[in-house]
Amino acid sequence: MARVGAPRLAALALALVVVANFAPRATAADFVAEQATTAKLADGRHRVWIHDLVGIGYAKATLLDADSGRQLAQVDTGYLGMELELSAKSPRFYSAETYLSRGFRGTRTDVVTTFDATTLRPTGEIEIPAKRLLGLPTSAHASLLDDERFLLAYNFSPASTVSVVDLERGAFVGEIEVAGCALVYPLGPRRFASLCGDGSLLEVTLDDAGREQARKAHPNFFDPSLDPLLEKAVRAGDQWLFVSFAGDVHPVDVSASGLTFGAKWPLTDAAERASKWLPGGLQPFALHASSGRLYTLVHQGGADTHKDPGQSVWVYDLATKKRVQKIALDELSTSIAVSPDDAPLLYSAFLGAPALVVYDARTGTRLRAIENAASWPGLLQPIAGDVK
Amino acid sequence: MSRIDALTQAAARRLASRTSRRSLLGMLGRLLVGGAALPLLPVSRVARAAGGASGGAKIDDPESCDYWRYCAIDGYLCSCCGGSASTCPPGTSPAPMTWVGTCRNPADGKAYIVSYNDCCGKASCGHCMCNRNEGDRPPYLPWVSNDINWCLGGENKIAYHCSTAVLVGVADK
Repeated sequence: MARVGAPRLAALALALVVVANFAPRATAADFVAEQATTAKLADGRHRVWIHDLVGIGYAKATLLDADSGRQLAQVDTGYLGMELELSAKSPRFYSAETYLSRGFRGTRTDVVTTFDATTLRPTGEIEIPAKRLLGLPTSAHASLLDDERFLLAYNFSPASTVSVVDLERGAFVGEIEVAGCALVYPLGPRRFASLCGDGSLLEVTLDDAGREQARKAHPNFFDPSLDPLLEKAVRAGDQWLFVSFAGDVHPVDVSASGLTFGAKWPLTDAAERASKWLPGGLQPFALHASSGRLYTLVHQGGADTHKDPGQSVWVYDLATKKRVQKIALDELSTSIAVSPDDAPLLYSAFLGAPALVVYDARTGTRLRAIENAASWPGLLQPIAGDVK
Repeated sequence: MSRIDALTQAAARRLASRTSRRSLLGMLGRLLVGGAALPLLPVSRVARAAGGASGGAKIDDPESCDYWRYCAIDGYLCSCCGGSASTCPPGTSPAPMTWVGTCRNPADGKAYIVSYNDCCGKASCGHCMCNRNEGDRPPYLPWVSNDINWCLGGENKIAYHCSTAVLVGVADK
């Protein structure tokens, strides 16, 4: 390479500056240079969060438009993040998160992060005791109580407690001990339940400061030896629906001041049970509230197949407790969800494959697969089109 | 290992060595201590269901999900990560608390008590994911729930790396 003297180099630099400044205008008079900005979050009728376990590490959630198949945005949910606590009444959502100060080592910090649901930027955080449950995602690890003033997070250290966060004051209130029980199921604005290893349901009532006011154990809710309950319950208005390993629905009505335990009813008839049709997966139940339908992910298996994937979705009318539809999935599935609108979509994802598969929930027709939606698909969270 | 952690693990082992799984399950709800090991994920079983993985069962291969000790494991096999079925890879530490499963060894027909120690302190290994759920129950029975990440307590080493299956006793008398 020929050596270039300093004067020549200066001249060359000057020429480049001149070209850079004047060349575009010289060749396209109407050219307008772009400026990097941030896109506004797109609205949509069928938006759904898909959580990504990222190989058991720092997790993230991706927002997809299920109609177009396009990714809209992403939020990060911390180490082994599980889900978002979506608000039904305000343009924000919350995330119970864990961080280590040096990535995979160092001091552990747990926080409840508030996100602006329009910008998807974190707008605040409240530190909570660094012992919330980590592991396989379950939506019952944390929950908003009904008026959304308090957020609860289940702790396992291995002592079982529940952290209470006052979102109105922006402060951690304290812990409530739930020895022998686990997870949190909202029962109203100031009540929650935990599912207990002795087969009981623990009901805890809070006062307006978020402190424990009363508790009541409801024994013999289920038999953990004969037919344990899956902890993956769904709420249908004033009813919690817990489903057992064998496929019996155990309803709990929370509308009264106490709790009313309804008669259990089966998802399967005797022949199906003999053929070992069972519910299973990571997120095997979904509710479509306006039609009162319960969607269940089922498979043929035996004992201890409660986490196995399925390729069949059986749909039940909660009013009649009868099955009204069967949907055959093309791919294996471990998570299902249903959009809340009147033209509902059924979403399906499998922990071992990176796609989100979209079905018409009414006809069972497979509409599309959104490839590379998540590396390790976890929980699915549809959001209503009119609530960001 | 803190004292309470050591007590918890010792208690779990004693309990498991004395009791059948059925009676153990019945007792679990009344006990606070104990534990499951390891995170999750029905991936290996699922890969087989999808027709993707290995042919015959390798019940005597510690790097295979079919290895007999792994009947209730959930996580990356430490045997594939620089450790073994009973040792953590260099630089990681066994979780002080675990849960104990019961697996039958086809070689001698006996059921053994298996402690599923997570190995902690580094990012996940990423090799040989395996999930089998014999006797697994939800987190309200933590002694027998493999959903829980047991890398808790002890020097803040919560990062999950891989899972072992340590033989700690014979269940059949």
